[in-house]
Amino acid sequence: MAISLQKGGNVNLSKEAPSLKKLIVGLGWDPRATDGAAFDLDGSAFLLKGDGKVRSDADFIFYNNLKSADGSIVHLGDNTTGQGDGDDEQLTIDLALVPADVERVVVAVTIHDADARRQNFGQVGKAYIRVLNADGEKEIARFDLSEDGSTETAMIFGEVYRAGAEWKFKAVGQGFAGGLGPLARSYGINA
Amino acid sequence: MAISLRKGRNLNLSKTDPSLRHLRLGLGWNANACEDGDFDLDASIFMLTDAGKVRGDGDFIFYGQLHSSCGGVEHTGDNRTGLGDGDDEMLNIQLAKIPREIARLVVAVTIHEAEARQQNFGKVEDAFIRLVNLDTGTELARFDLTEDYSSQTALIFGELYRAGEDWKFKAVGQGYAGDLRALALLHGVDVQ
Repeated sequence: MAISLQKGGNVNLSKEAPSLKKLIVGLGWDPRATDGAAFDLDGSAFLLKGDGKVRSDADFIFYNNLKSADGSIVHLGDNTTGQGDGDDEQLTIDLALVPADVERVVVAVTIHDADARRQNFGQVGKAYIRVLNADGEKEIARFDLSEDGSTETAMIFGEVYRAGAEWKFKAVGQGFAGGLGPLARSYGINA
Repeated sequence: MAISLRKGRNLNLSKTDPSLRHLRLGLGWNANACEDGDFDLDASIFMLTDAGKVRGDGDFIFYGQLHSSCGGVEHTGDNRTGLGDGDDEMLNIQLAKIPREIARLVVAVTIHEAEARQQNFGKVEDAFIRLVNLDTGTELARFDLTEDYSSQTALIFGELYRAGEDWKFKAVGQGYAGDLRALALLHGVDVQ
């Protein structure tokens, strides 16, 4: 049974799934039912050092940079409408390939063009993000963005971080005003 | 003090007011000062299952059917002009009477004969929905629709939905370039 995450909670991934080598981060949402611009949600990841910054722009993985230089993070591609069942976007995190000087991987979700389209998470139906063990695709944890994101347009869903030799996941659920650009700059990206 | 909701925001009504049993949804609007002629706006409710459809026509409450088949929703009557202050149309809901298989109640407002009269929500101002505890008279929340909805003639003002044993309300403020009939068809109502 997957853990339904509440803001601030954490799970020890290495304990929940002892065989865990590779994570899938899945993002899904319902397509817009009313008239107007589609809901386009984008998943992204930041590889951060102990000081909370990226080492370089290559540590920011999103729809225009689908793979980290070391191959640890792969974004499987952008879905711009949310059509279809299951996860609409996925990222994989190969834990063994995460460089030793990277302390944590922050996973964020933003709404593309949210300001111009006057959209926020609360309007998007059934938006969620979940973490799975890539081996067997068993869901470990899930977080509901439509309810908890409400009026936000960018949200740090959570972070995968080192705890000694183990990996933990924390449900951050922290909104960030301004979208993907300002979020990236806050982590030291020269976007 | 009532909570002012922004579009997309949700509110747990049961937690905000544990005494809530009977809920009134009051809807109001005014025609833009520059506009001539009458604006006849109609409020309606669709009671939907998880599948997003009504179970039958008795789950569609509007000016032509003022009571739901379950008796839990009552439309207090059609207002044809929107003149005057306060709520122009009201819907009263007895939460305990809403059948379990109903997951959410979508609250919509459509413009009567919008096409023939060349009217849309861009010509309507001060539209709002407010939620009142009917037993105490306390206003719990209010959502003012402030955008320019000039391409729309049918607007979902909000939705009331279950969250476990609680009821929540979400400010939606999204719509369609359609009429009440189109909206009814979309939600599975068998329109003659």
